[in-house]
Amino acid sequence: MSSSSFTSPFGANSNPFGSSRLDTSGAMQRVAEEDENDTITSPTTPHFGQSSGNNSLFRGPFGGDGSSEHSGLRSPPNPEGYPAQYNFGRRTSVSAESLKPVADSYDNWTPPVHPKTPERLARLKQAISGNFLFSHLDEEQSSQVLGALVEKPIPTKGIKVITQGDAGDFFYVVETGSFDVYVNPRGSLQPGLDGMGQNVGRIEAGGSFGELALMYNAPRAATVISAEPHCTLWALDRVTFRRILMESTFARRRMYEGFLEEVPLLASLTPYERSKIADALESQKFPTGHTIIREGDPGHSFYLLESGEAVAYRSGNDTSVKQYRKGDFFGELALLNDAPRAASVVSQTEVKVARLGKSAFQRLLGPVEGIMRRTKYVGVKTGVEEMDPLQTA
Amino acid sequence: MAATVASTQAIPPGLHPLQAAALRAAAAAAASSGQQQQAQQPQQRAVDQEPFDPATAGKLTVHDFVRVRTLGTGTFARVCLVRPSHGTEGDRSRVYALKILRKTEVIKLKQLDHVRHEREILASVRGHPFIINSLASFADADFLYFLLEYVPGGELFTYLRKFRRFDEDTARFYAAEIVLILEHLHEQLGGIAYRDMKPENLLLDAEGHIKLVDFGFAKRLGNNESGHPVETYTLCGTPEYLAPEVIHNKGHTTAVDWWACGILIYEFLTGYPPFWHQNPIEIYKQYDIILQFCTVDRSRRLGNISGGSARVKAHPFFAGVDWDAVYHKRRRGPIIPPVRYPGDAQCFDIYPEEDGIKEEYTEEMRGRYEDYFRDF
Repeated sequence: MSSSSFTSPFGANSNPFGSSRLDTSGAMQRVAEEDENDTITSPTTPHFGQSSGNNSLFRGPFGGDGSSEHSGLRSPPNPEGYPAQYNFGRRTSVSAESLKPVADSYDNWTPPVHPKTPERLARLKQAISGNFLFSHLDEEQSSQVLGALVEKPIPTKGIKVITQGDAGDFFYVVETGSFDVYVNPRGSLQPGLDGMGQNVGRIEAGGSFGELALMYNAPRAATVISAEPHCTLWALDRVTFRRILMESTFARRRMYEGFLEEVPLLASLTPYERSKIADALESQKFPTGHTIIREGDPGHSFYLLESGEAVAYRSGNDTSVKQYRKGDFFGELALLNDAPRAASVVSQTEVKVARLGKSAFQRLLGPVEGIMRRTKYVGVKTGVEEMDPLQTA
Repeated sequence: MAATVASTQAIPPGLHPLQAAALRAAAAAAASSGQQQQAQQPQQRAVDQEPFDPATAGKLTVHDFVRVRTLGTGTFARVCLVRPSHGTEGDRSRVYALKILRKTEVIKLKQLDHVRHEREILASVRGHPFIINSLASFADADFLYFLLEYVPGGELFTYLRKFRRFDEDTARFYAAEIVLILEHLHEQLGGIAYRDMKPENLLLDAEGHIKLVDFGFAKRLGNNESGHPVETYTLCGTPEYLAPEVIHNKGHTTAVDWWACGILIYEFLTGYPPFWHQNPIEIYKQYDIILQFCTVDRSRRLGNISGGSARVKAHPFFAGVDWDAVYHKRRRGPIIPPVRYPGDAQCFDIYPEEDGIKEEYTEEMRGRYEDYFRDF
């Protein structure tokens, strides 16, 4: 094995990779025992803190196993040491503007709406769909974001839309035209002819750029300049984007917490526990006529009805045994035991439900039995299981 | 000591008082064949006799301290090692860290709320063995100040980079102290999220124990009326350490500190964080694909969830990939191996030609095992 060619950015005295790897044993064996034979130094080898000469110094309160100095040594991902481009410098903290939901701050905020034709909306939707910042949005958030995009006509070629090194507040979608991307290795636009640096790419219609600005105010990583006349951009600013997400998330969480408060099985939860559960609820949409839970199936999840209507049926009974509306819940006994579903629940309209799995519940709060023991769960109102005959299954 | 005496000499405007004081001191020293200084000394000595303990002294000003040197700088703060400018000789031999924030920067960077949280939380965490002890806070026309205990060991970051990585015992030692910090902040203090855990914010005291510093992003999530933590929405932290729920603006809680704790232990053991890139946006894209595969819960693991490999292929990470073209090798590989002729083996490492195993395959073994090899 060759010795490492890696040079530490922290000076020669601190590079523990100067020594070569032991290669005394056969190759097969070396692979098998790589951990043991790896001589790359760590705090427990004599390279570390030579002045102390005392390995146990770093053993800490958990040491005492008397294991050799090799314990805990790790092989790097490759023998040469470290990822070549990793910047080992101090990392700067970042922060967006501090935002408070409307319900907390009593101001009146509604997302801006810039009307667009359906074709245009479809194009813009397509353009942002592959972006990780938008792929997690629900339908409502997504339509608000699309509505908030504002048109920025770029009439001529050569207009700098964003400038490397400048503070960034906007994200842009290219609807028509194209833009060239330049990066100056010095990290910002420099004066002079070649100040923009190297052309590293082109963004065509349907592309987008500047998404980091939607997260926090960071210097632009590149200069983007129109490559032809008559381009059309659509812009979205950070505060609008973050507020849209925050307001809808905040409202949904409070709604969930409100729903959960009405579930007798969960009556003994503290508000903090309810908020944790609200956090773990997963929103699901079903079309009309979908069987959400099926009688006789093992129950694993509990459901809250967020919107729409549903009905419960029992086999051998054509008429519904229970109606559900917004805020109602069903299947909660699944949190308690593995008894089969006592009835089927079918959507009567398009419905949105919030689902909580038994396992998620237990991961967060521990066994439901313990929660139950806090209060007596007798004769209280439940979802479908309140009808005794159904429960005997 | 002369530095603390108010001077009317021209100091560039906007300069921090301690910098201005340092300039004055330098000017005084330069001018000193001693006249100026001697003229000031008697006045100084009169003050020096009074005992001075900044922790109990009441309203402090920056003139109560002289700067020794800067210990660190951040986006809108500077931390200086300082000594009291007056007091008994014992008082003046003590050292403190003074964190200085410029009001205009705090406003410009929209950190007004954060600075107020920092002050409140620093006061409430006082006395924990692994958290920086704050002694006082004060302000003048242009600056805000936090007077903190001085933690002489420097940043754990420095040691981690110097030694490249820690062995498991070392990592466990620090991680254990961090767990106690988070337990205290989250559970004993009623839901304080720290939100900026990283080796840069962990100092070592003279005995090698951790002191958590910089509560600039810490926030009390416990709501005073209902007493329960409410999620918060402001994106803050350090790119490599941001939890996914922060990136996706889903509202976050103290859980973000446990995410950062995982990143921290990874960085302790390997020397670099699991997600990193020069362009932070790429870090956030990495999460999306890696975490969907590396999920312990198999019911959530990408590829194993409904849809199988089709869901993998549809992931934004693979956007633009023509799977048919992949199968038919329509693109040249990004790395072309330097193969000079068909039997060229230069792309392989060199291995010993003998494995040195001389054990015989005996009749007894043949009898027992030969059947397993019959298809060969």
